[in-house]
Amino acid sequence: MKSSYMKIFIIIMFLSGILQYSIFDLSWQYFKTAQATHIIGSLLIAIFLLIPYVNMHTYEFMIVKKAKSVSGVLLGITLFFIILSGIYLFLVGNRGGDILGTLSFYIHLYGSFVLLYFLFSHARKKFHAKPLVLLFFALSMTFVDNTYAQEKLTNIKIEEGVSRYHNEDWTSSAKCKSCHEEIFDQWADSNHHHLVGTNPYYMVMENLAGADMGEEFRQWCMGCHNPSAVTTNQKRTTHEMDGSLMPNVLFESGSKRLLDDFKAHGNSRLEQGVSCVACHRITETDSKGNSAYTLKIRDRKKYAFEDSASEIEQYLGEKFINSNPQVHKDSYSNKLYKKSSYCASCHDEFLPDESKRAVVSTFKEWKDSPYNNPKDATKHKDCIDCHMTYLKDGEFAPLKGRSTDGGVIKDDVKVHYFSGSNHFLSGLKSKEHEDQTLQLLRTSAKIDVDIKDANISVGVKNVGAGHHLPTGVSDFRELWLDITVTDAKGEVVFSSGKLQEDGNLGLDARPFMKVFGDEDSKPVGLMFWRYKKMISDTRIPAGERRVESYEIAEAKTLEYPLKAVVKLNFRIYPQWVTDAVKRAYPQLPNPDVVVLEKIEKSFEK
Amino acid sequence: MRFFIGAFVFIVLLLFSVSLLLPTKEKRIFSDDALRIAALSRDMSSTPETYDGLLKLLKIDKENLFREKVELGRDLYFEKKLSNSSDISCASCHVISKDLKDKNIYLDALTSKVNDKTDCVVCHLSDQSATDRFETSIGDGGRENPFHLNTLTTLNAALAKYQTWSGNVKSVEEQVGLSIKDASQMNLSADEAVKRLSLDASYMKRFEEVYGEVNFKNIEDAIAAFLKTLITRGDYDRFLDGDNDAMNKEAKKGLAHFLNFGCKGCHTGVSVGGQSIQKFPLRDYNSVVDVTNSFNESQKGREVATFDFNAKMYHPFPFENKGGFMGKDGQRLFRVPMLRNVTKTSPYFHNGGVAKLREAVHLMGKHQLGMNLTNAQIDEIVEFLRALEGDVVEFNIPSKKGEL
Repeated sequence: MKSSYMKIFIIIMFLSGILQYSIFDLSWQYFKTAQATHIIGSLLIAIFLLIPYVNMHTYEFMIVKKAKSVSGVLLGITLFFIILSGIYLFLVGNRGGDILGTLSFYIHLYGSFVLLYFLFSHARKKFHAKPLVLLFFALSMTFVDNTYAQEKLTNIKIEEGVSRYHNEDWTSSAKCKSCHEEIFDQWADSNHHHLVGTNPYYMVMENLAGADMGEEFRQWCMGCHNPSAVTTNQKRTTHEMDGSLMPNVLFESGSKRLLDDFKAHGNSRLEQGVSCVACHRITETDSKGNSAYTLKIRDRKKYAFEDSASEIEQYLGEKFINSNPQVHKDSYSNKLYKKSSYCASCHDEFLPDESKRAVVSTFKEWKDSPYNNPKDATKHKDCIDCHMTYLKDGEFAPLKGRSTDGGVIKDDVKVHYFSGSNHFLSGLKSKEHEDQTLQLLRTSAKIDVDIKDANISVGVKNVGAGHHLPTGVSDFRELWLDITVTDAKGEVVFSSGKLQEDGNLGLDARPFMKVFGDEDSKPVGLMFWRYKKMISDTRIPAGERRVESYEIAEAKTLEYPLKAVVKLNFRIYPQWVTDAVKRAYPQLPNPDVVVLEKIEKSFEK
Repeated sequence: MRFFIGAFVFIVLLLFSVSLLLPTKEKRIFSDDALRIAALSRDMSSTPETYDGLLKLLKIDKENLFREKVELGRDLYFEKKLSNSSDISCASCHVISKDLKDKNIYLDALTSKVNDKTDCVVCHLSDQSATDRFETSIGDGGRENPFHLNTLTTLNAALAKYQTWSGNVKSVEEQVGLSIKDASQMNLSADEAVKRLSLDASYMKRFEEVYGEVNFKNIEDAIAAFLKTLITRGDYDRFLDGDNDAMNKEAKKGLAHFLNFGCKGCHTGVSVGGQSIQKFPLRDYNSVVDVTNSFNESQKGREVATFDFNAKMYHPFPFENKGGFMGKDGQRLFRVPMLRNVTKTSPYFHNGGVAKLREAVHLMGKHQLGMNLTNAQIDEIVEFLRALEGDVVEFNIPSKKGEL
């Protein structure tokens, strides 16, 4: 092999490598090709050509002592470091967590210039070098043509149905697990994962909406619950089957089924629901609610083989990302994701008719709350400051750790438990999730009680939530006071907020909730889309206190001291809702009543 | 060295040029009217809206299909006495509601005081698919089909020339009798069925009225008469009847593919299938190295279509051979399934081996047509298959005396 061939190889590798350097800002489709060529080419050339050649070369220098060259020794040493750092970058990568990775990256980058310098100084015939350098620089200039920036990016607004995706466009979340295992595991049992086929309440409600309003109406639900299905033109949400049985996914933790499905079908089988890319490829939101977001799933910067089906290619794809992950980071994160307006695209919900009657207005509630304080950063709290921050011992305790295996250690990893109020469905799968949600719930309210002349007054203050209490589908949330007052003999003289025998809340209870009614002000029951008139709204806005007063009937014969036990109870779904869902999902257990606050107080006359 | 490099470059170029040589142009582009004419000229036709049209299609006289008979058949279809242990009826597997006009059926099932439905049925009854959506059928006493065959829909079944997966049965009447007697289905002897119905005075009276007596042949005939009224009409039929807007653009493209690619060769007739018995899979790609689809970028990501060494066990079908059913005479001969309402009848193929419609379309393209359908083509064909979905037509059937 002639040494000129070696030079050409090294120069090609140098160029394909240096083109990836950020100052060139190479358009993505060229970048990924250059990267793949560089890595695979270097591996092949280094192993089959360069190392044998250098070995032979050094043999001549050291053993046979035919030649003597300082530049040759320096060239050899540089080459050694370049190859070493290259192999490290390939096998481990520059993930941010270890110094060796960063070091390798810079050795590989700046070392290559040194290598080139020694390569030319080592060359005996110097005049060959100049035209070569000029030629390659001219070539590299033509590559820098920035066509990507000129391309019109398709802004897919799902609700307009401008375009459609194919199953393969949606990268399965299972794929993200290989590098982001902790975050994946948090998401896997969270409510954001179980929004569709694995959520019995949703499945029953979507079916009911379809039966009541026509099949097309399902899309209203699916816009937020099932973006992948909407954008691939699916008409309804489906559930998995195991042969002839519906798998019992209610208790299955870690998304085992999703992982198995990915193993068997790759991306060809659509992952329904809100997947990793569904949120991490939202590029714009206008915070209007009802899934007002722009997705860019197809038009993203994928490394070569990133979404490949073959195992070898997948392995290479991961190595390519790890060796230079900046583009990967940039394409899946966005400053927008930290803002509350981002969450607004789904956590504000209104009827899809002219009335635009608000069904869920969590974002608007937050917007009008003291937590929205852009002037004073210390008082301003966004959604993720509570819902994506780790909790420990009932306090917010930002988690120090990594979001990527081997990545940089962050002071506040944004956890993907998505704790809200639904401790129940995620709690069936993971105790950790249930615990996080319950801790969050218990930061929300404080209660106080007073009895004067047989009048019991209980105050409930929303101290922790940046929105109404309860919020979300608050027509399906039960937050109420369970009061027991006993007299000196220990006999119950007053009681309120107990459950009936059938599990439903007693009629005397005064749940903090909103009740939707139809035209005739009759409660709409399960079919909240029939909402025309608000019958009652007793939710507690952020920072406000609500007082409930009760009279003890036998006021005159009361024997003091009186003892009051007041509990603030919460149940995620009323019994009558669970009863309906259980018709289709008999294995569903009843959600527990959770005590958020409890006080005991004695009163003298 | 130079030789090897040269050879390598040559092979790479050769392999890449293969994908360039493949035709990418669509075969033919139809206008709406031309598409309709093309479809109609290829023996595809719409289902009738009227009683007279139905008689004409089924080639029967009105003496054979009248209200009393159909209503008797409907009641027998929902009659649990016709199964050995009296806990299933035809409608247990061929799930359909008795009153198709009832729109509150789902809400009632969720909120009624008595829970008389199994959990699947609660949601799926409103599909009105006349099948159970299981991989394999489950008959009397919970017995599964010995060959792991799944339940075929009874919708439009009367329009098929051949019944069942193997196509051994020629008429719905015959199949009704076989289903009642089959050990893995209703498991009831003919004599016992007649005996049980004879003990019921109301049935006695109605059989008397319609036939003159209760016998097994009449039971078959009555249920078959009901099945003959389970005819669906959808967007596809309205399109064939002249409404250009009934099918969307994608569905029309799908229909064009359906005609162009040769799907219609087997899935033909008013029932879009069920008219012949064919071999499946026609092309067998089960070789040691599966390279059938290695160079088509759009096909990446399908389990059966990636370049890989095929070290898997040999399967006679491009999916797991659960149940070991090999079709008619063990020759992998199957009755061509009807595609009407196919969107409601997953899982697909005789043993339910394929869960998703897109995958089924891909496999049909690959193994029956020898084509690697692109994603866009599959989308369009699926959109067309959606247009084949329809609601059961409510025929105005006159009584025996001819009263409407």
